[in-house]
Amino acid sequence: MRITKLKGRSIVPGHGRGPALVSMKPISFLGGVDPNTGLIIERGHDLKARNVAGRILCFPYGHGSTVGSYVLYSLAKKGLGPKAIVNQTADPVVVVGAIIAEIPMVDQVDIQQITTDDDVEVDGHKGILTIIRRK
Amino acid sequence: MYLTPEEERVYNGEYGWAYQVSMKILVRLGDLYGATRLIPIKSAHISGVSYKTMGDAPIDFLQALVNEGGRARVPCTANPSGFDQDYLSEMNIPREYVEKQLRIIELYKKMGVDPIFTCTPYYLRKPRPSWHLAWAESSAVIYANSVLGSWTNREGGPSALAAALIGKVPEYGMHQAENREANTLIKVESSPLNEAEFGALGIYAGKLLKDRIPLFEGLSSYTKDNLKQLGAALASSGMASIFHHHKPYRRRELETISIEERDIKNTIESLSTTSEAPNLIFIGCPHCSLDEFRGIAQALRGKKVRKEVKLWVCTSRHIKERAKTDVDVIEEAGGRVLCDTCAIVTWVKYYGIETMKTNSAKAAYYAPTLNEVRVTLAPLSKCIDTACRG
Repeated sequence: MRITKLKGRSIVPGHGRGPALVSMKPISFLGGVDPNTGLIIERGHDLKARNVAGRILCFPYGHGSTVGSYVLYSLAKKGLGPKAIVNQTADPVVVVGAIIAEIPMVDQVDIQQITTDDDVEVDGHKGILTIIRRK
Repeated sequence: MYLTPEEERVYNGEYGWAYQVSMKILVRLGDLYGATRLIPIKSAHISGVSYKTMGDAPIDFLQALVNEGGRARVPCTANPSGFDQDYLSEMNIPREYVEKQLRIIELYKKMGVDPIFTCTPYYLRKPRPSWHLAWAESSAVIYANSVLGSWTNREGGPSALAAALIGKVPEYGMHQAENREANTLIKVESSPLNEAEFGALGIYAGKLLKDRIPLFEGLSSYTKDNLKQLGAALASSGMASIFHHHKPYRRRELETISIEERDIKNTIESLSTTSEAPNLIFIGCPHCSLDEFRGIAQALRGKKVRKEVKLWVCTSRHIKERAKTDVDVIEEAGGRVLCDTCAIVTWVKYYGIETMKTNSAKAAYYAPTLNEVRVTLAPLSKCIDTACRG
């Protein structure tokens, strides 16, 4: 077992642990993620047809309509939200979404060091990520 | 950020979840952008109304705010919705969409939002110079900052709503004088003449500028409505929240960009994706002013809109009432004056509309992607010619 720790900046406090879902592409929540299922539906996105539910969702930053914040709330309310959000650079759409949905969030993290399905624990209060890889 | 004892109490939830979550949004955004305090605002304007644009996304959150007693503490207006209720019978919008849209409108009303859905809230209540505001809707933000001299950041739907509930915004960005100064000089070699050219100038400049603040030099004569088109377009293709159009008293050395006549012509051509006859002539992006109504009525007097084409003039309910004489001219000629909506945020496909001619560069910029229609950009006179003569 190999454990890596990454230090970022705390955005929304709280703990989340689960399998990572990683993309190097920005995500537009409005129109990009189905608020009723959690499926990524953005055309041409490398995570298309993957589901954000229960994941540690790692992507560089959010883009698109500011109403995208509400998608995160809708998902969390239905139990379909990500367990935590990890960004390279926090932007207002994702920050507001994480606040209202109470999803732990950390930014200023080099997300290239995380691979999809890594077991990741996020401490949103301290801004620390723990990546646990079984060999 | 420094919070007053009263703001602390809101933050800690003493006034309930709706105000607590709103305060958290403002404080966290303030922290991220380096604000040190909250400042009071005179009004808020929220985006996030049209069900066509948003779908189900906002309903859960808005319902939760209403359930928890969230009410706007300052005058609050909102962006256009998916239809004009007075003309619903002429539309073939699926009943489910109508019901969802009405539900979203009802939720905003319960929060004390004025039931006038427009992108030009400044015609309803004109903010004064140096008033602090929390407005979403990029065209209204840039008009408020650049033409009216009010101070507002380019808020998102949720942050403007949070500011409405709290009555304050974090002090950063456009709320501080030092961030409002021009840092790029745009020399316009040949001044735009009509609103379509002003819009095209905005689209072209917005792409070059991204988030830099321009001072336009070389605009010869222009109306407030020309500036409205310029700003709306600048904010569509770029991140601008403000532009300057008069020489500042102290002139610094500014990085300079020259824009020639052919740049504007080429932009109009590239925004025009079709030369087919349009199904719809759309005037009113952003929503029409009283002056624009006068111009449209003048151009239409004694003419009839052909049966094969629709003419839509979009505005706010407030302006429609005040422009009654001109509205009558437009409707008698066969046009429609629609309130609370526009050709971008309604479902044009249910009207069988596939091609559109408009005098708005912003509408031409968004319509092909947001509404899957083909577009021609042309000034009002040509739009009216097409509507009446073909």
